[in-house]
Amino acid sequence: MVQHVNRIVAATAVSLSLALVASGCSSGASEPSSTGSSAAAQKPLTITLVVGSSSDPFFQAMKQGATQEAQAEGNVTVKYQGDATTYSPATQIPIVNQILAQSPDGLMLAPTDPVALQASVTRAAASKIPVVLVDSKVNDLSKVTSFITGDNQDGGAKAADALATALGYASGKTYQVAVGLTSATATTNTDRLAGFKAQLAAKYPGIQIVTTGYSQANPKTANSNINNWLTAYPDLAGIFAIDGTNAQGAAAALQAKGLVGKVKLIGYDAYKTNVDLLRQGVFTALVSQQPAEEGKQAVQTLTKYIRSGGSSDGIQAAVTLPNIILTKDTSADDLTKATYVESAS
Amino acid sequence: MTNQTVFRPATAPVSPSPKHDQPNVVARFFANQTAVLIIVLIGMVVLFALINPAFFSIGVFGNILVDWAPIALIAIGETFVVISGGIDLSVGSTITISGVVAAFAMQAMTTAGVSDALSIVVGAVVSLLVGLLVGLVNAVLINEAKLVPFIATLATLGAGAGMALVLTKGGPVGGGPPTAINLSVPVLGPFSYPVIVVIVLAVIAGAFLHRARFGRYTFAIGGNQFSAVASGISVKRHILKVYLLSGGLAGLAGMVTYLTLASGSPSSGLGDELNAIAAVVIGGVSLTGGVGRMSGTIIGSLILTTVTSGLIVSNIDPNWNQVVVAILIAAAVTLQTLRGATHRRKS
Repeated sequence: MVQHVNRIVAATAVSLSLALVASGCSSGASEPSSTGSSAAAQKPLTITLVVGSSSDPFFQAMKQGATQEAQAEGNVTVKYQGDATTYSPATQIPIVNQILAQSPDGLMLAPTDPVALQASVTRAAASKIPVVLVDSKVNDLSKVTSFITGDNQDGGAKAADALATALGYASGKTYQVAVGLTSATATTNTDRLAGFKAQLAAKYPGIQIVTTGYSQANPKTANSNINNWLTAYPDLAGIFAIDGTNAQGAAAALQAKGLVGKVKLIGYDAYKTNVDLLRQGVFTALVSQQPAEEGKQAVQTLTKYIRSGGSSDGIQAAVTLPNIILTKDTSADDLTKATYVESAS
Repeated sequence: MTNQTVFRPATAPVSPSPKHDQPNVVARFFANQTAVLIIVLIGMVVLFALINPAFFSIGVFGNILVDWAPIALIAIGETFVVISGGIDLSVGSTITISGVVAAFAMQAMTTAGVSDALSIVVGAVVSLLVGLLVGLVNAVLINEAKLVPFIATLATLGAGAGMALVLTKGGPVGGGPPTAINLSVPVLGPFSYPVIVVIVLAVIAGAFLHRARFGRYTFAIGGNQFSAVASGISVKRHILKVYLLSGGLAGLAGMVTYLTLASGSPSSGLGDELNAIAAVVIGGVSLTGGVGRMSGTIIGSLILTTVTSGLIVSNIDPNWNQVVVAILIAAAVTLQTLRGATHRRKS
């Protein structure tokens, strides 16, 4: 009896996996058929996108943008790779080296470290594989075809604008705000803070940063910081939660203390949880990057560069994409469009 | 640990003849770690209140207790483990993984339209079960695979943290019961419901450690495992119970953390194993086993979170936190060593 059941289970498992393989094949096969006839004449290209952590919705949105552009270009395939969860050069370098050994036609890379990934970029250039960097960079950009990124300083400045708008800023009045960071060394954090401070100094001198704190990548620590700020600074008018852990900690603190809406909360990145909290009014505004656009432009640039035989005509060495501000007044359509993809793939 | 400390709580007055101790009131006072800890705690509150009067408020005390609740839970478990001669490094990632699994369960129930209260109760049960499972794995690794506790729980620490990342793909798990966050709001002065629950559990755990057979066995095994075996204690079974207790409490701490954040997070317990160990060491538990008091652990964990809130409210660079905690640990251990030296001289 037991054996019999086992056999049924095994048979089911086998047929299921066969079905999965079959469906995988058919969907794979259907993709090229959608390409235009003019593009069919072009040599097929394989472009590999190597990201920081492949499960991060930010990078998944980038992948989606890249894949859509590849279909539009015709006969271009985008492969997506990266460590599943860890944003670290130690796990990224072996992946990049593995990709380079397979000689793709082009490489899109989001380097996890400006120094550690330099050698990989140099190696790609030596093997005549064109490289476009996305989101982050290496120190020496001379071997890179193009570098496409969001602007963290601009994001910080736009956060200041959004905060001033939310506060109904009037010159002559003073407002106390706090900034939650992850660490003193994360460059995305420090760039955003620099942009935020510069904009306050230039346009909103009445807004004072009374305190800053570090979450050490732990939302509970961020929560503890913000709980205590809310108690120690009863006149606190706004909080700039500079990244995901601070957003999570700040949102919970405002909810627990019944200060939602009273203390203006500006967050960063259009992760689904953040956008949901924006809809509920916990966030006053979100600064959103455009990862899909980064992916799209990177594929465009690489395809153009490769198909022109390596000509740099009309290719910008550095592209900085502006950030978008999302608020409760943003249309539902635009909110959905801006939300970073969250999928299992 | 020397045999003399077996069965004897650390702070029990060591006074073979009161006459000898009479002139040395200061030494006797420092021998009572709980008294010293209370003085340190009060001193800190006064100091921080002098720096910023806003510190001395129900609001800040509420913040301190919110932070204290999960750390106290794992520190209580850690107290039993360390007194029994072991160590449990897995408590930090147990907070994370139990909080994350409970978050998924509550998310599914909320999506399915289950009431908030029921979802939260189920969430608490799920987090407790996940914690017990980690405790069971620890005990099996120690009892059956014969790994030393440090290595066994280091393995589960890594596995738990990694699994939480895999399950969540690195992001927070929201979409749970919308009213869950209300539970971390203080209802009585600075006390919220989870804090009250933790205080009750701390009292029960203290009674278990100092007034029940469970505690006597724990001290006996940590004091001298061979004599514990010789006196007929089933060491393996007791070790299993101790790690289940530690795991279960860490699971509940995961739920408390969930309530604080109103969401699960793959990094919510990051580094908490060190907070638990710091709390028990500051509280006077000896890392070599056989010595400790629950009151010390409770005040030790309270000192840790008081420092955290105090530095934030004083607007002092929070990186000083680590330095202050390091000094406290060094002072606590020095105190223990001095006391040990007094013991030896007297006996």
